Amino acid sequence: MDNAPSRRHFLKSGIAAGLGGMALGGTAPLGALEVANEDHVLVVLELSGGNDGLNTLVPYGDDAYYRQRPTLGIKPEKLLPVDDHFGFNPGAQGLHRLWESGDLAAVHGCGYAQPSYSHFTSMGYWHTAAPHSGEAYGWVGRLADALAPGAPPNYLVNVGAGQSLAVNARHHVPVVFDDPATFARDALAHQRPLLDSWFAPGQQSAAPTSNPSRAFLREVAKSARNSSTAIRKAWEGYSSPIDYGIAPLDLPKVAACIAHELPTRLYYVAFRNNAFDTHVQQGPLHQRLLSYAADAIHGFVRDMQRLGKGKKVSVLVFSEFGRRVGENANGGTDHGSANLMFVAGEPVQGGHFGELPDLLDLNPEDNLKHTTDFRRVYASVMDQWLQPGVSQPVLGKAFEPLPLFTGVS
Amino acid sequence: MRLVWLLALLVLLVGGVAGPAFAKDLVSSERAEDLSPLARADFAEAHLRHLLERAGFGASAADLARFAGESPKAVVRALSRTSKRSQRELPSFDHSGVFEPGLDPFPGSRPATTNLAKANGRALGIEVKPGGNRPVQPVVNEFFYWLRASRLETDRVAYWWANRMLISQTPLVEKMALFWHGHFATNEDKVRDYRKMLQQIELFQSVGLGDFRTLMIAVAQNPAMLNFLDAGVNVKDAPNENFAREIMELFTMGVGHYSEQDVREAARAFTGWNYAGLEFRVDADKHDEGQKTFLGETGNFDGVAIIDAILQSDESATFLASKLYRYFVREDLSVEFAQRLGREFKALDYEVADFLELLFLSKDFYAAQSMGSRIKPPVELVVSTYRKLGFEVVPGVPDFNQVTGALGQRLLHPPTVAGWSQGRSWITPSLLFERGNFVLDLVFPDIGFVPPDRYPNYGANIVSVQKRLRAGEDISSATRPPGVAAGEDMAASNQLADRDEAFNTRYGTYRGWQMAIERVKPIERSTARLRLSQRVAAAGLQTPIAVVEYFSAQFFSVPLSDLEKQRLATYLEAQLGTADISATATYAEEALRSFLHLLLSLPEYQLG
Repeated sequence: MDNAPSRRHFLKSGIAAGLGGMALGGTAPLGALEVANEDHVLVVLELSGGNDGLNTLVPYGDDAYYRQRPTLGIKPEKLLPVDDHFGFNPGAQGLHRLWESGDLAAVHGCGYAQPSYSHFTSMGYWHTAAPHSGEAYGWVGRLADALAPGAPPNYLVNVGAGQSLAVNARHHVPVVFDDPATFARDALAHQRPLLDSWFAPGQQSAAPTSNPSRAFLREVAKSARNSSTAIRKAWEGYSSPIDYGIAPLDLPKVAACIAHELPTRLYYVAFRNNAFDTHVQQGPLHQRLLSYAADAIHGFVRDMQRLGKGKKVSVLVFSEFGRRVGENANGGTDHGSANLMFVAGEPVQGGHFGELPDLLDLNPEDNLKHTTDFRRVYASVMDQWLQPGVSQPVLGKAFEPLPLFTGVS
Repeated sequence: MRLVWLLALLVLLVGGVAGPAFAKDLVSSERAEDLSPLARADFAEAHLRHLLERAGFGASAADLARFAGESPKAVVRALSRTSKRSQRELPSFDHSGVFEPGLDPFPGSRPATTNLAKANGRALGIEVKPGGNRPVQPVVNEFFYWLRASRLETDRVAYWWANRMLISQTPLVEKMALFWHGHFATNEDKVRDYRKMLQQIELFQSVGLGDFRTLMIAVAQNPAMLNFLDAGVNVKDAPNENFAREIMELFTMGVGHYSEQDVREAARAFTGWNYAGLEFRVDADKHDEGQKTFLGETGNFDGVAIIDAILQSDESATFLASKLYRYFVREDLSVEFAQRLGREFKALDYEVADFLELLFLSKDFYAAQSMGSRIKPPVELVVSTYRKLGFEVVPGVPDFNQVTGALGQRLLHPPTVAGWSQGRSWITPSLLFERGNFVLDLVFPDIGFVPPDRYPNYGANIVSVQKRLRAGEDISSATRPPGVAAGEDMAASNQLADRDEAFNTRYGTYRGWQMAIERVKPIERSTARLRLSQRVAAAGLQTPIAVVEYFSAQFFSVPLSDLEKQRLATYLEAQLGTADISATATYAEEALRSFLHLLLSLPEYQLG
C-alpha cells in the first residue's frame, strides 16, 4: 500500500515522457486521426486460457508482487527491463524488442465489473464485448457489419480450426480456415462445372428451405466458393525471411493475406486450446508459451515492415482474464480478473497506458480490481485506427478514448 | 430465352412442391415439444432412418432390414441393450505392449524429468550414465519415447473405438460414450497415458446409459480425469479449484448457479482425491476433514456428498437434460421446455437410457423441426458414411484420425475441457470443403498416402536430423534448426531450444520416435472397397435418375430438389456414355464413385 502513490506517479510520468506531455485520456491529438483510413488493418490475437499478466510485464518495483509470489515472482535480474518499475518475462524477448522500438503499448488493469472466473464465460464476454449479457454476435463481427454494411466478400478473416464467437456477424459470413494450403475443394475436371454451378451467384438450384441449418450450410458454401482461391494463392505466393519463432501461431497466414492485398480489414487469430491455463508448475511453462507468443508478434510486426505495410497494420492482444495475484501451492496460479492488453505495430504509441491495480487492495476473491474497462481499449482501437465514431454503435455506448496511436495517415 | 423461363418455372414448382410434400408426410401427428409417444402406425421408414441416424451411426441396408416392421420402442431397446453375445462380437483393445512400470508416474514436463534425473541419478526407470557426454540423454530419449508411444497407441485406441461404432449391434452404447467423451472431455495431450484414456472410454461404454450419479462419481474418481483437472495437487491447506469448478460449471450445473464460495468449499471436499497408476486413491492425510458450507448446507462433506448435493438442484437436471436434448434432438429449445425436460430427467432418477427413450419415442423427436436439422459431428459423418456404404471395417486409408482431426474432432483429443462445440460450430468454409474432400479421399484413395503412425510428418525436422547424423555430423550440429544460421535475428524460443549440455532435446525427440515406431503395432492400411456398381446392379437400377434417387435416399436426411437430382443424373449419363445403366456394369465403377463424391459434396449431406 505504502508505495502505491509513487507507483501511480511513476505511471503517469512515464506516459507523459512517452507522449511528449500528453495527458491520459486527452483528446487533443485525436482530431488529426480523422483522415481516410480505409486501408488500415486490425489483427486481433487471443491468448486463450488466461495469460498471467503479472508475470508477463512484471512490476518488479512493487514489493507486494514478491510478497504475493514468493516462488513464482521473477527476480529483477532475470527480467528484460523497460524502466525502473517494470520488466518483461525473460521469455517475452519479442515484446521487449517491440517496446524498445516504440511499437508496443501496454494497457494495464483491463477488465470488467463482477468478473467471471470461467474460461468460457469470461472469454464469451471478451468475444462479445458485452459482459453479463447474452449477445449472440461478436464485437469483431459487429464491427465488420458497421464498417461495411454491404458485407463485401473476404472482409473478415478468422484463422482457426473453428469459428470464434468474436467474429459472429449479422451480415458478414467470416472466412474461416486453418490451413490455407488445403483450403480448397478438390475435384476432377469433369466434376467442376457441376460443383461450380451449385454456389455461383444468382444460382437457384436448391429447393427453398424453411430448415435453418440447411440455409446456414448454403450460406457457408457460398462464402467458401468466394474466398478459397484468393486465400490459397496468397499462401502459395508467400515466403518470409523473418523468424517468427517455434510456434508462429497463425500470424504468417495473416501476413500472406496482407501481402497478397486481400480486401480484408479484420483478422482474428488465437493462441489456441486454453494454452495459458497455468494452474500447475507455471514458471518454465509460462515462459515458454510467452516466448512463442512474443516471437510471433514481433516477427509479424517486422514482417509487415518488410512488406511496406508497417504503417497500415496493428495488432490487439488480449486474454480472457489474468491470474490470481497470490501463487497457489502447486507452483501455479488460479483464474484471476484484471489483466494486461497490448497493442502492437508501427502506428502504435508505445508506452504504458491505464494503471496497474493495487496488488494488495483485492476483491473478495483475492483478485485485482480492474482500472480500465477492456471495452475502452476496443473502442480506442476502433475509433482511432479503423473509423472515427464507429465504436459507439458497435459497443452500444461511448468510452473515453486512450491515445494508443501516433498521428497516422 | 424460353429455356430460362422453363428453368425458372421448374425452380418454382420444385420449391412449391418438394418442401411441403415432405413436411405433409410427417407433420400430421407430430408436434414440437410434445413428449407423448408417436403412434406405432405413424412410424414410417423415414422415421426409422431418423431414429437410426440420431440413436446410432446412420442406417445401413442391414439395419433397415433388421428393424423393418418393428415398433419404435423395440428399435430403441435393441440399439441400447447389450447382451453377452453382442459384447463378445466387439473386440477389446489389442495393446501393443509399450508401457513399462518405470513410466508411471510420468513427470509433467521434460525439465521436470531431467531435474528428477539429475537429483536422483535415475528417472522413468532409466539410469543416468556415470560419465561421458550427455549423461542424461537416455532419460530424455525415454521421455520422448513415451510421449510418442502413448500418442500413437492412442491413435490405435481411436481406431478400435471407431470400429466398434461401425459394427456394433448396439450403437447407442457407442454414441452415448461419444457424447460423454465430449461432455467429460479429457485430452491425451495432457494425460499422456493411452491406458488412462482407454480406461475412461471403457467406463463410458459400460455405464454411459446408466444413472448419471453413478457415472459422475466414477468420472470424478477416474485417473484420466483426475490427471486432466489437476486433482492430484488439490490438497488440504492448498485447495486447487480447477476440478471443483469444472465439475459444477461444465459437468452438472452450468455457470451462474453457484457462487465462488461454493467452488472453494467444493474444492476442499475433493482434497486428497488422487490416483496411482490406473487406480483411484484417497490420500487421507491430504483430505480436509473440516466443515464445509456448500449450496447452503454445512457439513463435513467429501466429494461424493458434493456430487449428491449438486444433483439435488433443479439446475443440474435442467442443464444435463437440455444438453442431452440438444445433442440428440435439436439445438434450440425454450427455457420452459428445458425446465420441463429437467423435471422429467429428475423424475427418472437421472437414468440416461430411460430419458433417451422418452425423447426417441416422442412426437417431438419426429416433428418437422427435429428431422434433418442436425449438423453431423465429424466422427459421426465419417462412421455413418462407412456404415451406409456397408463397410465392415474402418479403412486404414484415408487415416481415420487425420480425417476426423482435419474436420475438427479427433477422438481422445478434444480441444478444451469444455469438449467440442456442437451444431453450427462444426462448419466453416474450409471445413465444409474438407468434408467433401474426405469423400474424394474415400472414393479415390490418395496414391501418395503416408501412414502417420510410421512416418514423422508432424514433429519438426526429425527426418533431417537423421539425415545429418548419418552424414556424420555431430549431435549439436545435426540438431540445429535448419534455416537459422549463426548471427541471424533468431527468435528467443529457438535460442532456448537446446541450451543444456547434459542432454540434447532434439536428439531425444528423434530417438523417441524411432523407439516408438519399433514397438507400437502398425495400423492396418487397407483401403476401402466400395463396389458401387454391384450395389447398382443388385438394386436393379435402370436409369441415371434412378441411381440418383437410390443414393440420395440412402444418404440424405433432407430431400434434394428435382433440379439438383436432374443435374446429377445428366452428369452420370455423360460419364457413362449412355442412359442405359444395365449396359454399363463392366465399367461403371469409376463414374459411380465420381458421382457419389459430387452427391456427398452437397452441403445438405452434413444434415442428419
